[in-house]
Order: sequence, then C-alpha cells, then structure tokens
Amino acid sequence: MTDRPDGVPLPHPDGPLSGYRVVDIADEKGQLCARLLAELGADVIKVEPRAGDRTRANGPFFRDEEGRESSLYWWAMNAGKRSVTCEMRLEAGRDLFHRLVAGADAVIETNAPGAAKDIGADPRTLAKVNPEAVVVSITNFGQTGPARNLPATDIVGSAMGGHMYLNGSDERGPVRTTAPQAYAQVNLQAAVGAVIALYARGANGGLGQHVDVSMQESMANAMDNAQQTWDILQINNRGPGSGRMVSGREGPRYIYETADGWVAALGLGGLMGPTSGAMVDWLDQTGEAGPLTAPHWRERLEVVQPLEEDEQELLVGIMQKFCRTRRKDDLVREAQSRGVGWAPVYSPREIVESDQLAARDYWVQVRHEDIGETFVYPGAPWKLSGTPWRQRGRAPHVGEHNAEVYGDLLGLDADEVAKLRRSMVI
Amino acid sequence: MASNGSKPKPFEGLRVTDLSWVGVGPTVARYLADHGAEVIRVESATRMETLRRAGPFTDNEPHYDNSGYFANFNSSKLGVTINLKTAKGKELLKRLVAVSDVVTESFTPGSLKKLGLDYEELRKVRPDLVMISMPLFGQTGPWAHYMGYGHVLQAASGFNHLTGWPDGEPIGTGVAYTDFLVPHVGALALVAALDYRRRTGKGQYIDFSQFEGAVHALGTSILEWTANGREAERLGNRDPEAAPHGAYRCKDGRYVVIACFTEQEWEGFRAAIGRPDWTDLERMRRKWSRLNEQKEIDRHIDFWCRERTAAQAYKAMRDNGVPSGIVKSPEEMHRDPQLKHRGHYAVLDHPTMGARTYDSPAFRLSKTPGGPWKAAPLLGEDTERVLKGTLGMGDEEFTELLVEGVLE
Repeated sequence: MTDRPDGVPLPHPDGPLSGYRVVDIADEKGQLCARLLAELGADVIKVEPRAGDRTRANGPFFRDEEGRESSLYWWAMNAGKRSVTCEMRLEAGRDLFHRLVAGADAVIETNAPGAAKDIGADPRTLAKVNPEAVVVSITNFGQTGPARNLPATDIVGSAMGGHMYLNGSDERGPVRTTAPQAYAQVNLQAAVGAVIALYARGANGGLGQHVDVSMQESMANAMDNAQQTWDILQINNRGPGSGRMVSGREGPRYIYETADGWVAALGLGGLMGPTSGAMVDWLDQTGEAGPLTAPHWRERLEVVQPLEEDEQELLVGIMQKFCRTRRKDDLVREAQSRGVGWAPVYSPREIVESDQLAARDYWVQVRHEDIGETFVYPGAPWKLSGTPWRQRGRAPHVGEHNAEVYGDLLGLDADEVAKLRRSMVI
Repeated sequence: MASNGSKPKPFEGLRVTDLSWVGVGPTVARYLADHGAEVIRVESATRMETLRRAGPFTDNEPHYDNSGYFANFNSSKLGVTINLKTAKGKELLKRLVAVSDVVTESFTPGSLKKLGLDYEELRKVRPDLVMISMPLFGQTGPWAHYMGYGHVLQAASGFNHLTGWPDGEPIGTGVAYTDFLVPHVGALALVAALDYRRRTGKGQYIDFSQFEGAVHALGTSILEWTANGREAERLGNRDPEAAPHGAYRCKDGRYVVIACFTEQEWEGFRAAIGRPDWTDLERMRRKWSRLNEQKEIDRHIDFWCRERTAAQAYKAMRDNGVPSGIVKSPEEMHRDPQLKHRGHYAVLDHPTMGARTYDSPAFRLSKTPGGPWKAAPLLGEDTERVLKGTLGMGDEEFTELLVEGVLE
C-alpha cells in the first residue's frame, strides 16, 4: 500500500468490520451510515465527481470561509473515508466504478429510484457486477410505492414520517429539531440494515442482497407510542409544548428554568409517583415545600391521583421557584443522589465540557495536518472489548486517494490513470 | 410486513437472552427477533417491566398483558419469567445463557454484578458470548448510576437545546426521543460484533452509553463549537441554508412543510403559487439574499396557505417538484398510501390484545426479509416451553421451581 504521509484515513485493522470494503456514493441520507462503518473497521471509499461531492457545499464552514475543503458538514459526515473522483455519467467512469464495486462488500447509494440506473448504480446492475456485495439504497420514501420518486429533505421526512406532529405546541404548531433528525435516523437505521445484510451472507451462501431503506419509515419509527395510541385508543398524540403526552394524556411541564439554564425532570420534577417522597423531603429541607408536607398531599402525590388545574399550578409553581435560584448541575446532582431522574438541558458546548464524557475519555482529537490544526470530535459510541471503535482521521480532500485506490487497489498503471485523467473521468 | 417463510432468516439459529427493559434495550433485541433470532425476553412479576404498566391499554383496561407500549418493542420474542433475586433463579439464568449466543441488558451499572450475573461471570458459562450493556450513561463515570428516561436524556444530549423556537423554551421533541434513536446505534455495534463472531468465533462485551451514541446524531453542532467556537441554536422550522423553509398552517388547520434549498426548487415554488410579484423582487432572486427575507417570505406563504387546504397546498408544491409534505398525524400515518404500500405497520394477533399494529424496520432486505412476525409475549407465556424444551428441564424440577417462586 502506498505510504500515506498524511496518515488519512488512520488504519483500523482490529475493528469488527475490518477487512470489509464499502463504496459510498451517498448524500445526506447515507454519509453518516458509511462513516460509522469506517469507524467499525471497514475501508470506505467515497466516490465523488471531479468537482467534488455536492454536499461539500453544505454549511456551516470552518471560520465561515466557503470552500470545498472547509465544510463542517463534510468534515463531520465523511471523516475517516478515502476519496476518489469518478465521473459516473461517462461510460468509462461507470466501468471504473464497477471495478470498485467488484471488490466491495457493500455499496451505499441514495439516488432516487430509477435515477441510479443512469449512472450504473442501480441494485440490479450492481448485483451483476458483484453478487456478493450488499447494496444499500437509501431514499426518501423507499424504492416502491406511489411516493417513491417525490423530492424530500430533512423537514419533509420529519413531517411525512409523523414525528414532527408530536413536536411543538397547539399555539405555534409543529417544529422540527434544528440538527436534522430525519437524516440522522435514516443513516443509523440504514447502518443496521447494512450489517444485518452483511451478517446474512453467512446464511445465504455468501451472497449479498438489496437493502431498501425509507427515510419516511425511519421517522415513523420515532413516534414513541403515538402509533399504538392511535391503533388502540383512536387518539392522536400531539405536540405537547413543554409537557409530555403519553397515550393521549397530556402530562405537566417537564422542563424548569434554573439560574443558569434549564433542567428536565419527568413527573413534575419527580413530585409525582414513586419518587415524590424524596422530592417532598428535599423541598422540606430547604423550606420550600409549602403545603406538600401534609400527609394527604404526600399520599396523593405518591399514588398519582389526578390533579385539578389549580393544584397542578401550585406544584409547578413550587418547582419553578425552587429551580430558578439554583444551578442546573447542582440540582441534577442532588436530585440524582436522592434517586430522582433529572437531567440538565445541555448545549453543544456543555456536552463538550461534560464531566461524565471527560471521565469516560470520550472525545477524540482529530488532526487536520493540511491546515495545521487539531479539533475535538465525538468519540466512541460504544466501547467494544474485543474490536474497538476508532475515529479514522479527518475527512478526505476531493480525489485525495485516487493514486492509491486506482493504482494499488485496482492495479491500474500510471499510463492508464493518466488516460482517465485526460479523458476527464477522474 | 409478513415475513416470507421460504426465505432464510439472517439470525436463524441464534439465541438471545434479553434482560433489557423499557425502550432502548428491548428495541435492540427486537431487531434480532424480527430477523429470525430466538429472543427470550426474561422478566419478573416481582419487578414488573415499566412499560407493561404504561398505556395505551386495549379497552382502556390497565393490565400488564394489554400494553401497546410494551407490545411494540417486543414483537417476535418469547416471554419467560425468572426471579433473579433467588439463588435458583440465578442458576437458571446461567443455564439459559450457556445455550445463548447473545445477552442484552440495560440495568443500572453494577446491578448484574451484584447478582453475580455480569459479563465476567456469564462468559464462564458461555466463552464466545456477545453481551451488550446499554444504560443511559455507560458503565463508568460520575453519572453512571444516574436514573432517567429517554425524555430527559434528550435534554442532556442536546435535543432540547436544538428543538423549539429561538425566542422560546428548549421544549425538545414531544417524545422520549433518544429511546427511538440510540437503539439503532446499539444494534449497529451488536450486529457488527456478531458478524465478527461469525467469522472468527470470538465473542466480546459492549459497553454502550446511550448518551454517547446520541451525540453522533447532532449533525454539525459539536464541530460548530469545537472548530468555530459557535453554539448551534434552535431555529424553529428555519434552516440556515434554505428559504423558504418552514411549516405553514392551512385552511383546514393542518400544516404543510416547504423547503427550497436550490434555485430550481425556488422556481418550482414560484410556479406553485402562481409567480406573484413579490417573488420577482430583486432581493428574492438569489438564495443568499432570500435567506435574509425569511420573515417576509413566511408571511406571504402563511397568507397563501390560509386560503387552501393542506392537501391543495401540498399538491401545488408536489406538482412543481418542490420538496414538501404534510405534517401527518398518527391517524394519517395509519392511512398513508405510501406506508400502506410498504406494509410498514404489520398487523399481528395478540392473545389478549387482538389484532394490533406494530412498527417495521425502516429497511427491506431482498433475500432474507425480516420484520415483526409474532405479537409480543404475555408475561411468562413461554416459561414452561423454554425451560422444558430449550433447557430440557424435567417436570419435577420445573414444578419445584414454580412452587418455590423462582419463576415469578
């Protein structure tokens, strides 16, 4: 293998998927999926057109300087992959792509059904090129059905997948999560489909198969118990604002403002249900329990008797007042020490600064030797005792690995590579 | 989606002892069950599974065998009850693990060790075991023992901060969001470890922290802080790179979403609303400029939508190639022609709940199809069958365990 002075991607010979090769021609719906496979050990080759993948134009950009090597989106989703360029609209490009596929264990593609055929990336063609390869097709609505060719982005996936109906409030309507969740969900669920299909080669005579993934269905799977609530009770759960709605019943407020932010605590901050005794004791010790120390209140809270509106207001008021003068981390620590399941509302900065993640040695430093900087990236989602996760280094430049992939891997000689360059295939 | 009996199932012959509970762990094990593994869900009436006590209940009749919440996470599994607090219960669990390939669990860290049933002990009876632990925060660290549910983990892992309106509270999603996100992360590692075992014969232990998995779904938010020193904020339904981008209320009270990232999509949008003059203003002609006019654009769209039903608005957008959709209610999801075509909601017959709908995986495997094929088990439904069948237990011992309360 060619010496890589940059060391990108970092070698990972001891991952659970080490030895597998994955060809990635995916957009937002599949790049995270392929990245996770790389971090589990697979050699992931990102195939881009000569001008660079479209998603390199996705913001935000490092220091707000737009450019095809400075997209933070690109960095986040394509770290640890190799990149080759290949014009798949040209016949010679399709041939080259098929040579890559011939040596691959999996292909991740996100073309609209039918569109993949034009670039030789449809499941049927790929199965002919390499029957052992798993072909993962990730689309908005799946390969079949009346909506199969409709355009969609993240918010459309959130809406048509039903998840968005459950967020937001009556007054302001539905809301999506600003960090795109339909994209995150379909990537993660596609990754599960991909490894199941890789595993299934054992039961299937070594043959690969087609994995047809739908973004709409991935969001439908994130509807909590709303699906069953409709099926069983014919009630629509809906966006409960700062409350929680389960089985068609709206619960009280679960977020409370603190001196420095917010905390989240179900069951009215633990005041309702099995932890109510502990909560009332805590409030009592600080002299903020109001009437709740009375035996009849303690009993009602413990067995979760339904509350009148003014009673609920009283309880929420006590909690709001209690939280407002205290810091969220102090509150959470104390609540947890009393057996009540609170959590802080953390921003990305606070997540990066979290004591828990520091104690777990979570974060990884990723060297960007090309710009002389090192940045903190999210670390191991799992600690596997035998086959560790590994971050594989920064995302590749456009066509950074053309020479080593086309030369060393496919065995093309210098003349052949030069010819592909001249004919604008790579 | 009914599975095709003539085709092989990926996990045929694999046995799983599923000690996990509530949302995340059972969903990870469900992936294996729905794809052909024999998943034995171990519960105890002495410490009832939280979701068996949570609705929706059929006939509004609260009963541990009537919970739709529980059922949807536990399709295709067998149900066994063992009281792990008894000495014989612990021994029995070890006998089960000895003939299992996988153990899944989501107890507070240390719980299984106290019972003498942690990975170090269980691998003694099954050396090539693959075991995954998946509590909220992992096995170590100051928060390892913290309690909570997905609804508050979404707060710690950034989803509240990033969901809501910029001038409003961090309301988060209306669901226990991470419960429906991190199972996929956990299942990915588990199946990858199983594939490694398939090829090498080696098992291993997976320490999975739900928190650490969830952080990978935050898009660019972490790098925006660590590389650019800027905090990502919640933007309502706006997107930093699209205009228009939002959810708009229509005449019938339903909402449509519209997203224009490209000039082509903007042109489609203009055509859909009849190319009114405002769309031709200089400041509307380029995306970088439109991004500053979102308030005005939203006002025009609000006005346009107010005179149309969601179906009319959606059709106009769709016919012009604009990424758009209707914010679908659970009811509409059940009627959605696309989901119907895909067979997303499998209908399975349950002994006490009757024919109920279950979610299917978001993917279809062409040669080894999966999907829920059996309704969730009743509490302890398969105890006798598994103990006598799988473990070859005699009638006498079974009765003894039953009488002694080991099988509660």
